[in-house]
Order: sequence, then C-alpha cells, then structure tokens
Amino acid sequence: MAEFNIQSDSVDVTKIMGEIRQRIREKRGTDYTEQQIHELANVKLEQFLDPRQVRSDLVEHYRNLDPLDPIPDSGPGTDPIPEAVKFDKETIYVSSRGLMGTLIRLIRRLLNPILRLFFNPDPIIFAMSRQAEINIKTLELLRRQTEQMEQIGKKFAAREALDTLNYEVLNNLVVEMTRLAVDMKNHKMQVESVAGRLDFDERRAKALETVVQNRSSAQDGPSNTAETPGTAPASNRSRRRRRRPRRRVVPSTQTPETTASGRSASPQNAGKKPETADSQSLRAQAITDSAKAKAASTSREPAEPRAAESSPVTPSSQNVVDPGVAPPEARDTDDQ
Amino acid sequence: MKLAVVVQRYGADLNGGAELHARYIAERLAKHVEVEVLTTCAEDYISWHNQFEPGVEQINGVPVRRFPVSRERNVEDFGRRSIQIFEHKHSLAAELAWLRSEGPTSPKLINHLRRHNQTYDYCLFFSYRYYHSYHGIRATSQKAILVPTAERDPALGLRIFRDSFRSVRALMYNSPEEQTLIQAVSDNGDVPCVVVGVGSEIKANPEPERFRQTSGIKGPVMIYIGRIDKNKGCGELFDYFQRYSRLSPNLTLVLIGKTVIPIPDHPKIRHLGFVTDQQKFDALAASDLLVMPSYYESLSMVTLEAWALGRPVLANGRCDVLCGQSIRSNAGLYYENYEEFAETLQAILLNRTLQKTLGQNGQAYFGKHYSWPVIERKYLDVLDLLDRETTGPPRKLQPLPGWFGRHRADLPPSRSVVEGLPSGPVLPSPTSASSQTWVGFS
Repeated sequence: MAEFNIQSDSVDVTKIMGEIRQRIREKRGTDYTEQQIHELANVKLEQFLDPRQVRSDLVEHYRNLDPLDPIPDSGPGTDPIPEAVKFDKETIYVSSRGLMGTLIRLIRRLLNPILRLFFNPDPIIFAMSRQAEINIKTLELLRRQTEQMEQIGKKFAAREALDTLNYEVLNNLVVEMTRLAVDMKNHKMQVESVAGRLDFDERRAKALETVVQNRSSAQDGPSNTAETPGTAPASNRSRRRRRRPRRRVVPSTQTPETTASGRSASPQNAGKKPETADSQSLRAQAITDSAKAKAASTSREPAEPRAAESSPVTPSSQNVVDPGVAPPEARDTDDQ
Repeated sequence: MKLAVVVQRYGADLNGGAELHARYIAERLAKHVEVEVLTTCAEDYISWHNQFEPGVEQINGVPVRRFPVSRERNVEDFGRRSIQIFEHKHSLAAELAWLRSEGPTSPKLINHLRRHNQTYDYCLFFSYRYYHSYHGIRATSQKAILVPTAERDPALGLRIFRDSFRSVRALMYNSPEEQTLIQAVSDNGDVPCVVVGVGSEIKANPEPERFRQTSGIKGPVMIYIGRIDKNKGCGELFDYFQRYSRLSPNLTLVLIGKTVIPIPDHPKIRHLGFVTDQQKFDALAASDLLVMPSYYESLSMVTLEAWALGRPVLANGRCDVLCGQSIRSNAGLYYENYEEFAETLQAILLNRTLQKTLGQNGQAYFGKHYSWPVIERKYLDVLDLLDRETTGPPRKLQPLPGWFGRHRADLPPSRSVVEGLPSGPVLPSPTSASSQTWVGFS
C-alpha cells in the first residue's frame, strides 16, 4: 500500500506527506470534501443484476413493499415561535416612560450602590444575558432544523417519484429477461434437434449402404449368403418384420431422459436443474418423435439394431411424421 | 548566582507538563547554580487545595519553599468569568478578576518575591497564565525570565499577559511555533529569547520483551501516553482507530495514563492505566510508533521520549507544534483527517525502512536539541548573557491604568484575538536547515 523510496540516511517528511496526500487524491478521483467521502463510504454497493440470480418473484416482492408514510404536515395550527428577548446589563435599569423613563433610569443607576448593599445583581444579569444568548441560538437552531426538515420532505417526495420510475424500469427488465431466457431455451432445443437429424441421416445412409451391399452379395451367390453366419435368409427377415409391431409407444413410466438418449441419466446429468413446463413439453414431443423415427428405422434396418439403440436420437418436430405412414425412405426400402 | 524557580505546583510525583518541566530544569540547573523552588502547597491543579505543608523541604536535592493558597478555585465562578472574557468584550478589571479566580492565588508567595527580591539573581517563572507568574513578574520584572509553555488557547489573547511577555528579561520558548505566537500577540520581538524546550529522564535499557510478556500483547502496537481526554484529541483517535481496525485488525492501541473520557470497548484497545516510568519506557520501546492526537501542545515531552528511544511519531497535523516538530526532525508523520491517518499509519507499519529511518532521525534530533547538556548550556548561556546585559536599560513595566481605565469594557474577546494570530508550523528555511538558526537569541 505504502511504497516510498526511502534512503537509509534521508527522509523528507514533507515529501512523504505530499505523496500520501497525492495518493489519497488519486484514490478519491477528485477532490471530494470530507462530507462527500463519508456519504460515499456509507453508500452500499448495489448488486448488478445477474440473470441467474434474479428471483422469479422479484417484481411481486417489489410491488408488495410498503410505501413510505407521508411526513405529517405541521399545519397552520402550530404555535408561532416566540421572539427572543434581548437582555443586557442595562436592561434592569431601563424604563419605557419616555422622558420620565430617562429620569427613572438615572435615579436607578444612582441608587445602584445602595442596591448592591442588599445583594449582588451581577450574577443575575450575567445569567439572564447568557440565557438570552442561549435563547437566540436555540431559535436559530430551530429555524435551521425546520429548513432541513422541509428539504428532507422535498427529498422524500422526489424519492417517491423516483421509486415509481424504478419500479417500471425493473418490471420491464424482468420481463425482458424472462423472454430472453425462454428464447434461449428454445434455441437450445433447436440445436439439439438439428444435431439429432444429422445423426439420423448419417445412420440411414449407412443402413442403405449395408442393404446395397447385402443385395449385391445375394445376387452374386445366394447359397453363400444363406450360409453366412449372422445373416438371416430373406424369407425369415420378412417374417420377422411382420411379427414386429409397426408402432412403438413410449411407456408412460419411462423417463424422458432415458427414452430419448437410450440410456439412463448419467451422473453428470444428475445435478442439472429441473426443466420448466415448456421445456418439458418440448422435450416430450422430441422424445415421441424420436421413438417414432426409431420404430421406423428399426423396421427398415434390421441389419444394424445395435447402432439404432445406442445412438442418442432426438429428432425435432420437423422430423415428425404420421405414425401410420412410413417415411419415404422406409417405403423405398420396403419396396426394395 | 541564586536562581528562583517559580511554578504553580511542585513535587516528585506530579506529572503535569509544566510542573515536570520545571522540576527537570531546577534539578539540572542545581548542578551549576544555586536553585530554590518557590511554589504553592497545592497538588490538585483544578481546586488548588492546600495538600502540602507550607515551609521548606528538599526534593531530589533541591530546596522547595511552599506557600499556601489563600482560596481554592470556584469552578463555576471561573467558568462564568472565562466565558465573559473569552467570548465578549470586557475590561481589564474583568481579566484580573478572571486571573484571581483561576489561581492559584497565593499572595504570600508574591510578597516573598517582593521582600526577597535582592536574594535572587534571577526568577524563572513557569506557565504564563497563572496568578503566580503574572504577579510575580510584576514584582520582579528586572529579574524575571519566563518559560511561557503557551498553547493556542483563548487565554493567550488576554491583555494582561501582553505586559508579562514584554516586561521580562528573557523568554525561554518551547518551540518556534510558540515563539511566533507570542511575538505576534505581544509584539515583544525586542525581548531576548531562545527556543529551548526540555529534555527527559530516559530510562536506560528499556526491555520491550518484558512489556510484551506482562501484557500479553502480540503484533504491531501503537501507543498513546498522556491524559485520555477529549481535549487531547482522544475521542477522534478512538474513532479513527476503530475504523482503521476494520481494515487492519492486527494493530493494538495501547493507552497509558489517567482516563477522563470512557474508552471504547474494543478488543484491540488496551488501557494500562497509570504505570511506572520503567513500565512506560518498556511499553514505548515495545511499540511500533507513538500517536499524539492532541490539537494543542506547547511541547510534547512524550514525543521527545519516543524519539529518544528511536520510535516514530504519528501526530495530529492540526497542532502546529507537533506538525512543525515532525517536519523539522523528519521523524514523524502527521494527519488531518481519517484518510491521512490510515495512510500514514499504514506507511509506518508496512514500510520498515521508513519506520526505522524516522526513528533514527528522531534519535538524532533529540540528541541534537533536547539532550540535557544542550538544554543546560542554553539556560546557562541565557543567564550569562543577561549578566552581561545589566549595563543596558532595564525593561519598563507598564503600570496598570486607573480605576476607570481598568473598568472600561473596550477589550475584544480574547478568542477572536487568538483566532487572528498566525498559524501553521514554522518550517526551517533552506539556508538555515543545516544550522537550525531558529534556536538562539533573536
């Protein structure tokens, strides 16, 4: 914090103090007054809005905040502040009877030494003078406090207006953030859908290639083909295809995650947040589509059942076809 | 040569600044000249109650003659008169009445000075603002030497003291700031003067480890020694320290001295109360720095003691004397607000080189200006010079005006007088920095 270039034999305190004061000015940025520094120090750092930390009930919470009670007006019925009375050492001798008063005052002054034989008026005069000064200062203090209270009242009024504006801004902000969050999830689903389609296309291409290879080998030598281990004869294949149901419905007890990915939820997925109703419905739709596509591919691709079961197929809504109607690719395959 | 040291209180166990100053000087000068101390029987500086027996006694080899105080101080009366002359236009009679009210009123002491004026070659008065100094100087102005121990307080602006500053034979100032202040208020530039100050009885071989073991304090230590009073800036110190402690919780503030205000309940503020000199120096040696938060000081002896032990000082920059001493010695930093307090404290605590160098400078400064041989030599030089000066015209004491003149309320409030005086530390000029020419006769 405090790094000074100090030589062992010389220290210039004035220079060090100059450096310290310069550093304080730099920290402040500008030459704030002491009062301003205190105000700044007392201001709490406002948290920046983080989308992940915005509460869903923030607006409701803000709406339920109690409004500030209005400052009661003193009203016109308040008694006026009495004027301060001036009192000095001449006051006790003064008379208000004009010319006669001057004479009375003179006589009182002349008789003052006799008065002092009975008691010493000086402490009383001093006390009354001090009290008069205290009164004046108190009135001045009261007047200043009244002005300050009025200023505070104005600030409160301005603050209330600002609160309304703040509420509106905050409300808009939360709405926009919610909309953005929904959009983001939709986009995420679309990306997954495209990835699923791509994967499905790749596997279909492989399956077609396999079928072509099988047919060419069958044309070359049917006996060889029949004896090939692991390969069923064409009549058996068609019989088995008929036995299998054309439609496969996703069991209601099966979790969407398991069904969609073809495997149980991994530990990595265990910590994920629960999905919202929108995303769950979207995902369920995707799963249904996936199941349909799988059923279709299973019926079309008996040669590669393992690949179809293990690949995470999540076709999008664009891949959705009528379950009763086979996709064009499947029809082609059947025709073949 | 016989020298009378006149002071308001005197005792081996009294720790007031001016009183301790007077005892040190009396005991040191007693080695060179015959010294007799003239003082009162009072021990308490507020009531001036006669605690000691009147008569002569020996304290550390110096004869001390005590005189009774005729009336104790009425605090209410004194407060009322103080407000009257500090805040309002007033008369000379009001100032004299204030002086009687302040005390210690001891007419027997003044009468002794008048009667035995010829017995003493010089009378060394300590503390300008008390009864004994004002009336004693009027009784012995031809032989009076004043050690004002003045601070920037409203009493300095009283008219009655202007004559005291002008009519003495010589003035022994504690600091250049005090000299500037008094010369500005009294226009006494023609009176011989010297900036002397005072040394201190530094205990040899203080043991910081002993303090650490007995107190159980670990980590860095900032120490304050003196009366724990709001007037000494302790309230502000507590506030600043507690704020700083949130940033750096390792630092401990050790307080030594009598407390007047409540001490905050803080785990890092340790009040040790009144301790022996040996314990005080042990604590000082164990500390990383001394803090002096006082706004008004004539000469801080504790600061000098810290420098004598090689400890840096963090002083209140609004005290001209402390600020000036820190600058001239290059042995301490100063602050005027919390930011500066925190930064300077941090600088001293974190920068060991700075801390060490400030301490070394303090030791060198103390040795050069405040070691006892230097102090004694300055006093003896003043006495020699005054001996040679006897051929010159004696200083004339202005007589007091008549009854009507004394009661004419035409004197300004003394506070406004003091506020108009020059302020700020006296900085050494570049040409005189090496030789410190501010020390010496003007």
